[in-house]
Amino acid sequence: MKKTGRFLLLGVLLVSLSVVLFGCGTKDSGSSTDVGEGENEGVRKLIVGTDATYAPMESMDEKGNIVGIDIDIVNAIAEAAGFEIEFKNIGWEPLFPAVDNSEVHFAVSSITITEERQKSYDFTDPYFSANQLILVPEDSSVESFAELKDKRVAVQINTTGHIVTKGLLGDTSSKIVAAETMPLAISEMINGNADAAVGDNAVIIDYKANNPKVQVKTIEDASFEKEYYGLMVKKGNTEVLELLNKGIQIIKDNGKLKEITGFDLE
Amino acid sequence: MDFLDIRWDMWGVIWNYRELFIRGIGITVSLTLISYVLGLVLGLFVGMGKLSKKKWLYYPSKYYVDFFRGTPLLVQILLIHTAVIPGIFGQSLGYFTSGVIALSLNSAAYNAEIIRAGIQSIEKGQMEAARSLGMTTVIAMKNIILPQAFRRMVPPLGNELIALLKDSSLLMVIAANDILFAGKVVAGATLRFWEPYIMVAILYLCLTFVLGKLISYVEKRFSNSYIPMQRRNVFSLRRS
Repeated sequence: MKKTGRFLLLGVLLVSLSVVLFGCGTKDSGSSTDVGEGENEGVRKLIVGTDATYAPMESMDEKGNIVGIDIDIVNAIAEAAGFEIEFKNIGWEPLFPAVDNSEVHFAVSSITITEERQKSYDFTDPYFSANQLILVPEDSSVESFAELKDKRVAVQINTTGHIVTKGLLGDTSSKIVAAETMPLAISEMINGNADAAVGDNAVIIDYKANNPKVQVKTIEDASFEKEYYGLMVKKGNTEVLELLNKGIQIIKDNGKLKEITGFDLE
Repeated sequence: MDFLDIRWDMWGVIWNYRELFIRGIGITVSLTLISYVLGLVLGLFVGMGKLSKKKWLYYPSKYYVDFFRGTPLLVQILLIHTAVIPGIFGQSLGYFTSGVIALSLNSAAYNAEIIRAGIQSIEKGQMEAARSLGMTTVIAMKNIILPQAFRRMVPPLGNELIALLKDSSLLMVIAANDILFAGKVVAGATLRFWEPYIMVAILYLCLTFVLGKLISYVEKRFSNSYIPMQRRNVFSLRRS
């Protein structure tokens, strides 16, 4: 009898705790979930989707805020073009259906503008230029991308680094170590599971800066084509596209973009 | 059915990637089978350890099960691949080794509980009878208890095999080239998600179907000669 009572009390406690927690949770997010039109009192609010696992371009800080170079740029664009924004961390793969389903108005996530992607989505004018960089152990003899032909190469799955490496090693090569995130790909290289890692310059430089004790060096290769990041909108959504392009043009002209990224976009 | 946005020409695209899918099937199956056998052997030891009255056998086994059953497999995979193995060997040994280690250690914890429960489900009298016939505990265990207990373990051990096959898909975080990886590559290259992931689901379904058939065959083999002791004797007992 005594035991039953104690279990009952525990059950009641658990239920009431979850009710309280759930109640708080919905109160916080309730106001922001209706994406619909997003128009109130003249100032338009756009929902932005991102994959916040790609420091320094977009990542989460200690408090769960989404921060990074991409985020600063979008904030500047919004200020210039006169609209409000709200960021949502959605993840890389779900980002594309989220744009398709109008769950978000546009996506920013270091998305390189490629012909293949332009078939399914519209992109703004480029706002950032990037190129691939090779990261190898300090004592490695590798000097160019072509030398990785018969080596194991770590990349983040489905990024440009993965695409160029597939170009060198073959589409189905088992020597490509395609990890889920860039930090995991780099750790594959450091743990000796791959001879090199290939990824976006910003990310690799950021990794080196944050891990000065790790014995690695970067290699630039002229054979990599320059890539351009764009903001991605649903195919045919010219209204948002024009708004964003207007903002990008303004921050390009007034030097704000250069202030954030540190270089001129040709 | 507006949401069901399937483009039929995509199956042709997937066909172009068949090499990846075929290799994925090979890797998923071999990962699963190797881990399962290792997990079974290790699980037998851990399960026996949990039955032991010796404290130095019981407590390590108990904590082993508590740890591997109480933490997510995904965390175990990341821990083993990115920290434990490089820590011990100085370098990574590739996703296959890490995968086999993580899956078999995890599976062993579940198998240990199945084996323990199976052995405990055999009536105490069986052991007592064997002992009074002059058998040692080990021989009684091997010849009397385990054969009976094993019949009861077959269905849950079969479940464990199917669960293991599906759980092996978690190894994609450490870049295992399994079935899910092939699907992810197609999804990433085409930005289409319905077809590649349907393909992945179908392949896993086919594999679990085959395994399910195998398990029910084994179950039948072991239950043919088996008539539960209580049921066989129930009338003779009442009459006497």
